[in-house]
Amino acid sequence: MKLERSKEWWIARARREGDAVIGAGLLAFDPAADERPSGAQSAVVEETRIAFGKFVNLMRRRRGFSMEQLAQAADLDASELLVIEDDVHYVPEPRTVFKLAETFEVSQRRLMQLAGLAAANDAGFRQEAVRFAARSEAVQKLTPEESSALEAFVAVLSEQEPKRVK
Amino acid sequence: MTVDVSTIYLLDVATGESVEAELRDAIEQAQLDDWQTKWQPALLAVLQELARKGVPMSQWPQSWHWNWAQKTARVQGLLAFRGFSVVARGETQGLAQVNLTKASREPSQVGKPLVYLDYLEVAPWNRPELGAAPRLRGVGSALITAATVLSIDEGFKGRLGLHSLPQADAFYRKIGMTDLGQDPAYQNLRYFEMTLEQARAFLEEE
Repeated sequence: MKLERSKEWWIARARREGDAVIGAGLLAFDPAADERPSGAQSAVVEETRIAFGKFVNLMRRRRGFSMEQLAQAADLDASELLVIEDDVHYVPEPRTVFKLAETFEVSQRRLMQLAGLAAANDAGFRQEAVRFAARSEAVQKLTPEESSALEAFVAVLSEQEPKRVK
Repeated sequence: MTVDVSTIYLLDVATGESVEAELRDAIEQAQLDDWQTKWQPALLAVLQELARKGVPMSQWPQSWHWNWAQKTARVQGLLAFRGFSVVARGETQGLAQVNLTKASREPSQVGKPLVYLDYLEVAPWNRPELGAAPRLRGVGSALITAATVLSIDEGFKGRLGLHSLPQADAFYRKIGMTDLGQDPAYQNLRYFEMTLEQARAFLEEE
C-alpha cells in the first residue's frame, strides 16, 4: 500500500498533532515499572550478568579503587556495587549502569545489555561476555591474564552493534 | 512478502525542520529488534526515574497493566499480523497493527466492516507525556493516516475503530472521531470510531 501525499500535507499533520499523546490498544500500555525482562530470557541474562559483575570488579581494581571510592566517583551507593559484583541474580538499576558506563568510558547500550536490562541482537556479544567471565578470577591484584582479558573485553564493549540489513 | 515503502515527512521538534521518513506497510524483525534494544531501555530509564523522584503512580503516564515479559512476547508476535511502521534516522519511530475482521459499532454504520487498530505505539523518545522533549512529531498521525487509507483500499470506505489509551482520548476527538464511551471489555478504555464522512474530512484537510 502506497501513500501519495505532499511534503506540506505531512508537515501540516505533524504540526496539528502538537504535543498530543497518541496510542491505542491494551498492548500499547507501558509495562509496570517494577517488572524487568525475565522468563525465557533469564538464563541468557544471567550468563551475561556474571560477566557484568566481573567486569565491574576488574575495572574497579584496575583503577585501584575500593568499593567506596568507586561509589563516590560514580555517584552510586557502595552497597549496590557490592551486590553487583557478588550476586548474579541482582538486577541493577538502569541509572547505576549508565553511571558505570560513564565512569568506565564504555558504551552505555552495551553495558545495559551486559547487565541484562536490554537484549543484544548479536550472539557474538554474549559469547564474548561468557569467555570474559570464564577467563577472569576475582583476586586481590590483577594477573597479566586478567589484564589482557579485561583489555580485550573493553574493546568489545566499545564496539557498535552490527548494522542491520534494511 | 513485499513491503511497500512510502515517503512521508515528520517534524523535528528541536529544530522545526522537516525529516524524511519511511512509512512501511509491515512490521519486520528490524522493528522488533528496535523495540527491544532501544524502546524498552528508553522506557525503562524513564520509569525508573519517575520512581526515583517519588512521583505518585497516579501521575505516571498511562496505566500499568503489563509486565515486560508479557509485553515483549506479544510484541514479538506482531510479525504474524498486518501492520505499519514508521522509520526515520535509521530507527523505528512508531508501530501499528491492524485487524480487518471486526465490525463497526457506531449507529450510522453498525455491523459494517472496518479497520480496527489493535495496537498503536510511538517510540518513547517521541512521546511528550514521558517528561523529556519529544524528538519527532507526526508519527502517531502518520500511523492513523495509514490505517484510514488501508480502510479505503479494502473497500471499508475509511471506517476505523480503536480503543484509546486514556491520555490519547483528546487527540481522537480532535481529529473528529466519534467517542462511543468506555468499554468494560477493554479495561474501560474508550472506544472511538471514524465514519466515512469523518475519514474523508481527515484525509482531505490540508
